[in-house]
Amino acid sequence: MTAATAVLGYTLRTNLRARRWWALLLAWAAAVMFGLLSFASDEPRQEAFAVAADHGLFALLIPIGCLVIGDAVLGAEMRAGTFHFTWLSPVPTHTIVLGRWLGGWLIALAALVPAVALSAIVARSPDAIGALSLATAAGSAAYIGLFVLIGCVTRRAAVWSLAVVFLVERLLGAALSGVAQLSPMWESRAVYAGLGPDADELLRDGVPDGWAAVARLAIITVVVLVLASWRLRRPRLAAASD
Amino acid sequence: MSTGDPTQAATGSGHPTQAATGSGDPAFAAEATVEVAELSVWFGPKVALSELSCSFGPGVTGLLGPNGAGKTTLMRAMTGLLGPKSGSVRVLGQDPRRSREVQRSLALVPEDEAVPPALTARQLVRYVADLHGVAARMAVERCLEEVDLIDVADRRVGGFSKGMRQRAKVAAALVADPTVLVLDEPLNGTDPVQRAHLIALFRRLGAQGRTVIVSSHVLHEVERLAERQIVLLNGRLAAAGGHRAIRDTMADRPRRVLVRTPQARQLAASLLGIDAVSGVTVDDGSLVVSSSRAGEVAVALPRLARDLATRLEEVRPLDDSLESLFRELVR
Repeated sequence: MTAATAVLGYTLRTNLRARRWWALLLAWAAAVMFGLLSFASDEPRQEAFAVAADHGLFALLIPIGCLVIGDAVLGAEMRAGTFHFTWLSPVPTHTIVLGRWLGGWLIALAALVPAVALSAIVARSPDAIGALSLATAAGSAAYIGLFVLIGCVTRRAAVWSLAVVFLVERLLGAALSGVAQLSPMWESRAVYAGLGPDADELLRDGVPDGWAAVARLAIITVVVLVLASWRLRRPRLAAASD
Repeated sequence: MSTGDPTQAATGSGHPTQAATGSGDPAFAAEATVEVAELSVWFGPKVALSELSCSFGPGVTGLLGPNGAGKTTLMRAMTGLLGPKSGSVRVLGQDPRRSREVQRSLALVPEDEAVPPALTARQLVRYVADLHGVAARMAVERCLEEVDLIDVADRRVGGFSKGMRQRAKVAAALVADPTVLVLDEPLNGTDPVQRAHLIALFRRLGAQGRTVIVSSHVLHEVERLAERQIVLLNGRLAAAGGHRAIRDTMADRPRRVLVRTPQARQLAASLLGIDAVSGVTVDDGSLVVSSSRAGEVAVALPRLARDLATRLEEVRPLDDSLESLFRELVR
């Protein structure tokens, strides 16, 4: 077995524990609820679902789901004190980062893509499933990479990740398109805005949409993974309390 | 194999430097595989290590010190898990923070109990083996057998006792056949049988020419393990050398003994007539005897009590903890 597959296998094995399946059900229940919320609007079906997806799926479900997964694949392990099993090896740091990210992304895909698809089905907008799944896949790739990077940088990864999602992306991103261009939340929303049915309302000036947003998310993913693997060369796995 | 002379000890709060290498300074091993030079680490206002210089070579070296002395910080710095604020650490001539390759020859058993709870012992050891490119399945089985976990190898480590977790971590550390093995309080939580088993294992690894560094705050535990010891206190080198020399050094330092007797004043007067006694304080039925030759005082006390026709209700050393002995070393 190669080191990369060992890291990937370890990531999947340590994160896919029986009691975590409840979290998956929670995500799916939230997705169903956001799908049902679209019925509260008087707008046409597709447009009502686009608004519900904007506020529920892109602003809450995908970031929070990815935060939980992204923190679990690295930051939580650093806090728990088990990361040395991986780090104290000749495996290059980029292999470790890539294995952790890929494991996290696969889990996110398995958890979130069915959830958003379920939401579209519940909202009677099956045409939206393709664009929504692509937006979720591309957005979660960038998000997991971002949270892996935050896990490499700070021990309080969960707190900082929440701050990034709600303060930087949600607040600053809403006001400044320069921030939105670098935000997985806004870019994944823009993927759906460009490719989804009757989602023009979500288009935003200064933020690329459709496939351009997919490319933007891919670039964000690569950049955060490069930064994470650079940071992981010199970890700080101890503090005064240790 | 080169370890310090067991009859030699260096003590004090000074900081031996690299210049001392090869000059017989017991803080330095002649064939060093791990070199620590002027190493300082601090966390905010807390200084964990202060200009520490020492080295480790093949064989078992004990790293002694009370809680908070800096042992864990030193071990983390040695393995690259923690960067020095100043100074340097070299393992097999390389910086463990910069060279991923040196990690092939290095293994750590950390003090904390944390293990990936979802993995079985076999999966954990297999994972470390895969990361190090150890293909042989037998290596995993051999290591599990070595630490006596083969019968529970398919149980999740999350359900293990503290001692079993320690052994699982030791097995994971051994699977890559490391040249330098760093063990932070590896005997914590193990029962006496397992303790003896692990001590024999570590001694065997040392005898094979590996550099085995074992930390502990229990003096007699390290005495059984290592011929050479490095003693840390408050992040500084307090003593180094063979355990007999360190023990003797400690024994030569002033000790205080509490004596409770109905005739405290008379006994105090008699004690002051003994050369070995450097001071006596009397306080309401008890006296505290200061002496750098506690053994002689222990012999003289019953005799003096008999001469005074009094009884000794309590005789208790006040400085018996290892921590206080360490403190004495740097006075």
